[in-house]
Amino acid sequence: MSKTDAVEKSGRDVPVIELRHVDKHYGNLHVLRDVSLKVKKGEVVVVIGPSGSGKSTMCRTINRLETIDSGDILIEGEPLPQEGRELARMRAELGMVFQQFNLFAHLSVLDNVTLGPCEVLGLPKDEAEARAMELLERVGVGEQAHKVPAQLSGGQQQRAAIARSLAMRPKAMMFDEPTSALDPEMINEVLDVMVELARGGMTMVVVTHEMGFARRVASRVIFMAEGQIVEEGSPDEFFNHPKTQRARDFLDSIRGH
Amino acid sequence: MGLSELLSTYGDKYLQGLLATWSMTAVSFVFVMALAVLVTVARVSPYRPLRLVGDLYVQVFRNIPGVALLIIVAYALPELRIVLDWRTCVIVTTVLLGSAFGSENFMSGINTIGVGQIEAARSLGLSFTQIVRKIVIPQALRTTVLPMTNLLIAVMLTTALGSQVPLNPQELTGVVSYVNTRATGGVLAFLVSALGYVLTALVISFVGNRLDRRVRILR
Amino acid sequence: MSSPTPALSMRDALYEAPGPRTRRRVRIGTAITAVVALLGIAAIVRQFYVTGQLAPRYWSLFLQWTTWRFLGQGLLGTVSVALTAGAISLVLGLLLMLGRTSGVRPLAALCRVVTDFFRGVPSLLLIYFFFFVPAQLGLKMPPFWMLTLPVALAAAGVLTEVFRAGVNAVPKGQVEAALSIGLSPAQTMRKIVLPQAVRYVIPSLIAQLVVVVKDTTVAYVVSFPDLMQNARVLITSYDALVSMYLVIALVYILINFAINKAAVYVSRRTGAKIIR
Repeated sequence: MSKTDAVEKSGRDVPVIELRHVDKHYGNLHVLRDVSLKVKKGEVVVVIGPSGSGKSTMCRTINRLETIDSGDILIEGEPLPQEGRELARMRAELGMVFQQFNLFAHLSVLDNVTLGPCEVLGLPKDEAEARAMELLERVGVGEQAHKVPAQLSGGQQQRAAIARSLAMRPKAMMFDEPTSALDPEMINEVLDVMVELARGGMTMVVVTHEMGFARRVASRVIFMAEGQIVEEGSPDEFFNHPKTQRARDFLDSIRGH
Repeated sequence: MGLSELLSTYGDKYLQGLLATWSMTAVSFVFVMALAVLVTVARVSPYRPLRLVGDLYVQVFRNIPGVALLIIVAYALPELRIVLDWRTCVIVTTVLLGSAFGSENFMSGINTIGVGQIEAARSLGLSFTQIVRKIVIPQALRTTVLPMTNLLIAVMLTTALGSQVPLNPQELTGVVSYVNTRATGGVLAFLVSALGYVLTALVISFVGNRLDRRVRILR
Repeated sequence: MSSPTPALSMRDALYEAPGPRTRRRVRIGTAITAVVALLGIAAIVRQFYVTGQLAPRYWSLFLQWTTWRFLGQGLLGTVSVALTAGAISLVLGLLLMLGRTSGVRPLAALCRVVTDFFRGVPSLLLIYFFFFVPAQLGLKMPPFWMLTLPVALAAAGVLTEVFRAGVNAVPKGQVEAALSIGLSPAQTMRKIVLPQAVRYVIPSLIAQLVVVVKDTTVAYVVSFPDLMQNARVLITSYDALVSMYLVIALVYILINFAINKAAVYVSRRTGAKIIR
């Protein structure tokens, strides 16, 4: 099936990402309990919840960085492959941004961004570089293109990491606590890039503690606790009229200080 | 015995010794590296028995004293109908010892990469082979320049085991014992050989440091 | 904060959780490599068998108490040389490090030359030195010291660097704090820096003992009765060369393995890295 077919088939109704009754254990720990979720094209789903609630794990199951014990994960209606070339191809279509940036330490920022397009998409080097430079400019680290990651600030590294994901022209992007490892003054520069992406229509799953971001751009807020999706709603519903006691407690606890 | 007398009588011997040490070091190091790569591949392979063999190899050869291994290679193997010439015995011993440490260096080089980069590469859609080729090997090589420089020096020092078997020509340490059994060489007889080692080591570590500074990965 | 992923070693992290195809492939590979490994072992055993090395006469001596007693005496020799050399190298290494970091230019340069020298020559060469030179100068040196001193000197060269790394690992703030409360530089070194540096290098010191033990094995050069030398004596009386050398090698390997394990254990507990 070619890409265009997939898009046509997906149309409006087939979600880009869908989790159906996903369960996962770490030994005795039940980290995901019957998690079901649909993310439609262009939606920005923000996942919040206390640490240890399984939100990061859930995010990582979407491109199989974490395996699941039971349930289904569908990407544009197709089941997520379990291994091999099929899995790699699917991953190439999903962007992932990590808490710790995870830029390749031995490559320049530019080479970090061109690696995927050259190796996976088979783009010629000059084309990949042109695309990479454009993206690096867009996220505001064009000047840093020829430095290595360690010479960049955390905020710059994370923006470069976002450019690295974007260079693959993904159908959707996952953000796994993208600002949690950043000094406070750098959080906004990363969030600004994400806001711009969201406004540009990117389908996004964002695990974060940044409530301001959730309020501003989320199409939907998912609240997780103890491996379950406890509550789900628009930002306004969730922040102003939480339905569950758990969500109210959580919101109180983060507003407390 | 004065320096001039020492050198006029035994100068050739020392020179041959230095060349023997250098050539055994060079040959050994090539095999050390090749074997270290193989052992490391076995140790990071997904196959349990192969990992076990690799781990065992490293534990055996990093813990066995060089002399004990040389004696086994030179005197016990012939009883098992494996006869090697003396020079080969020294080189085989040096290679077995050195490759265990070489593999340890590679393993710690791999360990510095961190799970995160592997996950990032995976997320981009890179295959296992691409990850190994583009992320793991370049980083493991570049972080091990300094340890491997030290290993090269250690390999050179290990070839001194050659003094324990009748090598011809003898290497630097063997030459000293040769000289001293024939004449009263005194401190000087040792200093000449020692300088051969020390100066070579200095050159190796100078080059190693330069190379390391060029390829070191900032973290 | 991050997901509760169980801690993974890098060599496991290279592989992701396998799918069914990969699992099958790994299972087949495991079976093949297991067979190959077993064949290898079988080939070795066969070689021992066809060359007659499995004959009881080569191995029965290990059932005799006297064999182990004699080897035990040798082991005591090994241990006494190793511990004495270890102790001397500790003191010497510390002194050389203090000299190098003293700030007195000529002293620092001298200590550096000495350190580089002992690190840059094979311990065998040093042993030959103590075997030949004192005798040539008319000094009569007991074999114990002909072995212990060179081993100690070789180790001291390495320990100097280990101690230096330890001192460098003490945070600068500690020195600044000590100086700011009025301690002299010497007092700062003695009371603040050294105690922390020593604690930091303890695992490395333990690991260095392995090198010392290995270096003692050339005791036969100076005819000192260590484990290896006593084994050679037994070989001449029992004509059991292969079995004896293999057993002795195994003993050394186990001793050094244990020392290394101890170093790693202490390193894990204290969080200090092992510097080699």
